[in-house]
Amino acid sequence: MDGITGKLFDEFPADSNWDVVVIGGGPNGLMTAAYLAKAGAKVAVVERRYEVGGGLATEEVLFPCYYSNMHAIYHMMVDYMPALQDFDLNRHALTWIKPNLQMAMVFGDGSTLLLTKMIEDTIDSILKYSYKDAMAFGRHMRVWQRMMDEIVGPATYLPPKPSLDLIVGMQRTEIGRELLELNEKSPMQIMEESFDDDKVRALMLYATCMWGLDPNETGVGLFVPLLLTRAMDKAYCLGGSHKLAGALAREIVRNGGIILEASQANEICMQNGKVTGVDLWEGRTLHAPVVISSLDPHTTFFDLVGKNKLPGQLRDTVENWKYDKWSYYTLHTVSTEMPAYKCDDPWANESYMTVIGFDSTEQIVNHWNNVMKGKLDDNFGGHVTCESFWDPHLVRKPGAHVSFFQMHAPYEIEGGWEKNGGKVEEAVREKLAKAAPNMNKDNIILTLAENPMDVEIRFPNMRRGGIKQGDYTPMQIGFNRPNIECSSSKTPVEGLYLCGACTYPGGMVTGGPGYIAANKVAEDMGLTKWWKPTKLMQDYVKTYM
Amino acid sequence: MSEDERFDVVIIGGGHNGTTIAAYLAKCGLSVCILEERPECGGAQENTEPIAGVRLSPHAIANYAGPSPGWEQLELWKYGFRMDLHARNPEYRGVPTGFMTGEGMYHVTEQDGLAWAKLLGFLGTPMFSTDLFRATFWCPPHPIDVELTPDNIPFMQVYKQHQPDVWTPELLQMTMFDLMDEYIEGEPFKACMAYVALVSGAHGHFEGQAIPALSCVGMVQPPYIPRPVGPRGNIHGYYHALLRCAIAHGATVRTCCPVEEIMINDGTAVGVRLKDTSPRGEKKIWARKAVISATDVRQTFQQFIGPSHMDAGFLQRIKDLSLKGGSLYVTHWLTKDQLRFRPAYASAMAGEGVFTGGPFIGGAGTRKEYFNHVADVLGWKGKPRVPAKEGLFLWVGNQNYDVTHPQCTRPGQYICGPFDTMVATPEYDPEGPDNLNKIKAEMDAYHLELASCVCENLDSNNIVSTFVNTPYDSEFRNTGLLGGSWYGVRPSRAEWWNQRPMPELARGRTPIDGLYLCHQSSTHPGGLALMACGYNLMHIMIEDGIAEPGQWWYPSPWYIPERGKKSAKRP
Repeated sequence: MDGITGKLFDEFPADSNWDVVVIGGGPNGLMTAAYLAKAGAKVAVVERRYEVGGGLATEEVLFPCYYSNMHAIYHMMVDYMPALQDFDLNRHALTWIKPNLQMAMVFGDGSTLLLTKMIEDTIDSILKYSYKDAMAFGRHMRVWQRMMDEIVGPATYLPPKPSLDLIVGMQRTEIGRELLELNEKSPMQIMEESFDDDKVRALMLYATCMWGLDPNETGVGLFVPLLLTRAMDKAYCLGGSHKLAGALAREIVRNGGIILEASQANEICMQNGKVTGVDLWEGRTLHAPVVISSLDPHTTFFDLVGKNKLPGQLRDTVENWKYDKWSYYTLHTVSTEMPAYKCDDPWANESYMTVIGFDSTEQIVNHWNNVMKGKLDDNFGGHVTCESFWDPHLVRKPGAHVSFFQMHAPYEIEGGWEKNGGKVEEAVREKLAKAAPNMNKDNIILTLAENPMDVEIRFPNMRRGGIKQGDYTPMQIGFNRPNIECSSSKTPVEGLYLCGACTYPGGMVTGGPGYIAANKVAEDMGLTKWWKPTKLMQDYVKTYM
Repeated sequence: MSEDERFDVVIIGGGHNGTTIAAYLAKCGLSVCILEERPECGGAQENTEPIAGVRLSPHAIANYAGPSPGWEQLELWKYGFRMDLHARNPEYRGVPTGFMTGEGMYHVTEQDGLAWAKLLGFLGTPMFSTDLFRATFWCPPHPIDVELTPDNIPFMQVYKQHQPDVWTPELLQMTMFDLMDEYIEGEPFKACMAYVALVSGAHGHFEGQAIPALSCVGMVQPPYIPRPVGPRGNIHGYYHALLRCAIAHGATVRTCCPVEEIMINDGTAVGVRLKDTSPRGEKKIWARKAVISATDVRQTFQQFIGPSHMDAGFLQRIKDLSLKGGSLYVTHWLTKDQLRFRPAYASAMAGEGVFTGGPFIGGAGTRKEYFNHVADVLGWKGKPRVPAKEGLFLWVGNQNYDVTHPQCTRPGQYICGPFDTMVATPEYDPEGPDNLNKIKAEMDAYHLELASCVCENLDSNNIVSTFVNTPYDSEFRNTGLLGGSWYGVRPSRAEWWNQRPMPELARGRTPIDGLYLCHQSSTHPGGLALMACGYNLMHIMIEDGIAEPGQWWYPSPWYIPERGKKSAKRP
């Protein structure tokens, strides 16, 4: 900045040189940057918001004095994510809490069903309804957990293979063949074939489809063992999900990288078909031969590179990319008491997540179908988490609790969210008070409703509020995510890589796209990798690749 | 006790001051650990987004630290520091051409403008304002055995050298009003400047505080600060650069780590013990060389140490420190239409309908209104009694940020604020510390009336949401903001410089060996996110042989070393 008599102090320069520029400081962008910075590359991360983390956001939205996790909260890949072993994140006081009681479903009649980390506790609960289902659950979990450990878990962190290669590999083992068979089915089919009792099916279906898997879509069955075992193994990040982002950001900075918040990438600069850097909206240029974008395909290829500069088929494939038709509606609350459910098992009050509003698989499917049609009616349900039960740090004024209710919701509702959002909030509060009678007017002292449009406003890259930069359909998963040319992170544009949720394996803070991109870029740049694949990954490679 | 949990220096509090001293010490090669109790570091340098797309500055907003040696010594530019909020909209950098009073815009006469510039050193050859500000804020208080004279007090030395006709021993007795009365004619100008000083931490009417008060205002005026007044990424963006400087030099930073006690062994601070709720399994963190408390002085001595190590007389003096005067009631309004200002205030605008903000003195804009306000806040200490049209406020208009720094990216809505008024400090409120929170509706209505003195469409039809942060809220959110105060203990002569907060603590040392203070409430010069508490403490860290900085370090030219200690000056 210049004063009257000359310079007062230096600011970050208009032009600077880097080995790698990462666009977007969400979980994947930070992870890629952290690996590469530690490998010796000079890395800059640009982030549009005022704080890095993307969906790893823990902010004081219940203003003043109460923090909430705005997006990601249920961390499902803590046991598999290589970054958690490769970096000493404990140094930054990163601590995971893994409650045994992961999920409780409270039905309208006050009956409950529990899903726990310890298989036996879940079996005990299912036994209240069906001996057969309880036994089936034990049997399935034995297989599905193996599918997770041997195949799906490690494959999350290895570059995707074309379907044919994958099938050939999977056929080598019995568990692989079983997974292939399962993959042909829809989640609903799998539930119907596996369990008899509809309440048991309802719990399992909710656990499987709460992340937006279409209950009736076939060809995505491999997500069932993945999501169900993960629903039983969710971790909470003490202090809020942002701590993971903060820890990764510190690893970047410790290793000489920089992070520029409040910086929007304006253009990915190119010369002779090669990437040369990133232009920022504020007028600065970060020059770099390698740019890694963690943004969605439209933003990266159309807005930042430019439609006309795209080689080959890229333009068409990007144009055909489908975003999710749903997002979340979340009602954050501050209450003097934590929710106490009207149910036959008080343990449900201590559940990491409590599902309310649904009595049957039919209701779950109907709500989903409504959302797909852009509709919301009285037939809705969702899950509740009382964050402060796990995390006293979120509450700065003593004597209160922070909770939220969350459900699938369409991007647009009839009449618009601005006009009719209030009615939705009323209906949600009514439903909440029905399930947990103490969540009434006197108890709730502050609320914040966040609808899918709000999600997009807060996180502009979550187009239409979508949580994973694109739907999971057979055409948009695996080797096809986001398309066959880019799914291993390298794109046909020389020097440009992808590392966001639109890239294999997808979203949900798996860290997969970030890790895979870091590996690829390190190889292409000739950097020495300071990390090794996990044991599970090594075993997977030996058996299946 | 694992070796991992041993650091050279353990710092309690990851706010502005804790992080500044962490950056300095880490740059000296020391292993440093910052322990912050909140989920996010930054202390009062914070921003939040309570509704998607709507960002607030509940505390600090303006960058007062322009003259700080910290920019250069810590090289904050390397860590992404930028000031250009309005990189692509220079028209928003317009400066309003007057001050708002109850009777419209007051325009400063050329003669008064020149007199003011002279006092601030802008007219010196060479211009000596940076020297003046650095002498006032960026210099540790002289050792206790050095007799203070009009010749050795740093800012006096600067005047004597550069502007001898301003220098007089009486500068040390004057209030800011006294000084302005000698040089400036326009009463509203004087009242306005005194008010800016009041909300900036050095009151316009404090005995002997003329120069500190004057300097507080000078640092937030061009050329020291462009408009808008915040850095890119807002005030938390400035903090990011500081934090990352510390981390890049190896500092360990932990959030959600509230401290239970400072461990003392044989009269020496040896580390801290964390509260049970903190995430680490190992709750004791040992310090080889120093524990620095970068949280408020009361918490430090009353909670972290307690009566078993401190004598009752000392603790009583800690209890008696005055917190009055630093508590602001902060409002942001989210509106459907952009705010329109009354014709009399048209020149408070810059660009197309863009309100640039500023101070407002109601009524005729004189010191009468200033003192009525002081009587309200510091005398009556409760809810405001002055009619709104004679009230005072400071309004930072920020509806005009660029798209990558959106105060408001909600389509069709506008945020304006912070709108700050000084209110009674909670613990002095005769109706109880939560009084203003209890009468929030009444307070909000009063503030609307105040703002409506200059704005014509701030009404219930237009307002979508009102966000309020009271000093009482601040104390909970940010426990170091003792009394919700923005600048710690009172900046009167009795609690400033060599007296801040008490003579034996003024150089950052404490009666406990190995325990140092670095906080706005416990060391000179106090608040405003100046990087000054840390810079000043660095001199002491060098004197005590803890820090050995490299070539990048330079001490304050007015610094006097403690007898028998190593000097912080280069050999």
